[in-house]
Amino acid sequence: MNKLFARFPKESGFEITLAVFALAYLLVFAGLPLLYNIVLSFQQVDLMEPATLLRPFAGLANYHDIFSRPEARQVLVNTLLFVGLSLALQVVIGFLLALLFLQDFPFATFMRGLFLAGWIMPGLVVGVIWKLLFAGDFGVLNDLLMRSGILHDRIFWLSDPAYSIYAVIIANVWLGVPFNMLLLSVGLAAIPGDLYEAAELDGANALQRFFGITLPMMKATLGAVISLGAIMTMQQFDLIAALTQGGPANSSQVAQYWSWQLSFQTFEVSAGSAVATLMMILVLIVAVFYVRSTRNERMV
Amino acid sequence: MKRYVLFVIALIVTAVYLFPLYWMYITVFKSAAEMFQSPPTFWPAHAESHIWQVFTERGMGKFLWNSFIIACGTTAVTVFVGTGAAYALASVQNRWTSLAIFAVLVLQALPSSLMVTPIFTAFKGLGLLETPRLAVVIAQITKTLPFYIVLCRASFVQIPRELRDAALVDGASPARAFFDVILPLAVNGILVTAILVFLQSFGEYVYARSLILDDQYQTATVGLSAFIGATKIDWIGIMTYSAVFVTPILIAFMLLQRRIVAGLTAGALK
Repeated sequence: MNKLFARFPKESGFEITLAVFALAYLLVFAGLPLLYNIVLSFQQVDLMEPATLLRPFAGLANYHDIFSRPEARQVLVNTLLFVGLSLALQVVIGFLLALLFLQDFPFATFMRGLFLAGWIMPGLVVGVIWKLLFAGDFGVLNDLLMRSGILHDRIFWLSDPAYSIYAVIIANVWLGVPFNMLLLSVGLAAIPGDLYEAAELDGANALQRFFGITLPMMKATLGAVISLGAIMTMQQFDLIAALTQGGPANSSQVAQYWSWQLSFQTFEVSAGSAVATLMMILVLIVAVFYVRSTRNERMV
Repeated sequence: MKRYVLFVIALIVTAVYLFPLYWMYITVFKSAAEMFQSPPTFWPAHAESHIWQVFTERGMGKFLWNSFIIACGTTAVTVFVGTGAAYALASVQNRWTSLAIFAVLVLQALPSSLMVTPIFTAFKGLGLLETPRLAVVIAQITKTLPFYIVLCRASFVQIPRELRDAALVDGASPARAFFDVILPLAVNGILVTAILVFLQSFGEYVYARSLILDDQYQTATVGLSAFIGATKIDWIGIMTYSAVFVTPILIAFMLLQRRIVAGLTAGALK
């Protein structure tokens, strides 16, 4: 340990001491569980057994087990759909809102701030409110869609397997849009205004200015926003718990919720940790992408 | 003219976005008959209040108290341990701190719902589930600490290095320079981030649901989810519960809105 410290410049000894507490904590309570999860996924875990670290080795049996389940394919498709569609909608809507609120009109920043109310609320409460909005027979969403002539028949958003995953995606987009809008606003505000003036003098129209200046200048921000959005969507648990709990018949099941259900509702911890391990690999890949895309922005 | 067209558009967009919140508050005051009326009413005909019921029949006071304790514990430890780390990672620059920043950012990305299985199994082995609220605090800090370090580091980065160097030249120890010079300047960022951490822990669900087995220690989120699980859904009760839970959060947010926005934009992209 002393040898390790010796590598640091002497005068920053105080700062290093400060950092070590937090990093040690994270190493023990986040790093070790991360590794332990991988170990668990190769073990045969029985929750009824007395607590022990050494359990029978199962090899790849747990992984084989989860992939041979009938719902595996659906969970995979749903997870990709959930992340992909949520991201696409969040970024597009967030971008449009960011462009709108950067215009000059009364109360623009105040109204933009109001949007963050959705972001600050507990996910479970947001899920419960959306569950009420989505209600089939007395829900206000169906009522509004039918009154405006978009729908002719009620949709049972949460109990119809054809719609359940989209209902969860709609609620998740609602949750994620404010954060996307905020980060994209920051990126947009940082583009120098004289670029647009010069382009306007050269006769570029609004569309040409958007594709010629805005989009290329926003590349780094978009990279960060997309990867951060993917991370937040892959973390989403509360909404699914409140809305559909993966049902009906796994039609809205996604990997992170499936893993929890396997471990805590059917007590198949081995299968649960195998799903978690696979999902974490995906999260880590996106996380590395995120860190790299924000690094360009860092001014340190 | 164009300004007012934009203003009206923005007003409509904001109203549409905030409609779910409006719907929650409006449902709170509806009567049972009006609740299931089709088409739904957009303003309660005869306002009623069910707040008292939620507290007596659902034991909401106890749930809120547990959430409050857990959020306080989480925030206290996060601020105590995280502030120094944020400062260190902002002021020292070498290969090791880059690696640490990288690790912290990656840890921030890990979903609680996937971390909870190994944490549960390990905590069970260690006997930590005997003190369930402490177990949730320990687990929740792994989530809030990286978030806190990232945002606080951003506010430390904004403080000019010269201030610390000047204090050192004047003969102050690094610890004094930190406590007397740097910390007072960062107090704003620390406070806002701490409140965000508190609000996040106050609404935490996965760890509370999975690690707390005794109903007596359960949090407000789990109490809410038990409410939906009932066979006959009492929507007015659920919305009242949600409104009681969320209103203090929204008030805190409204008061701090400007600072939160500034802190987030500085922290997330820098």
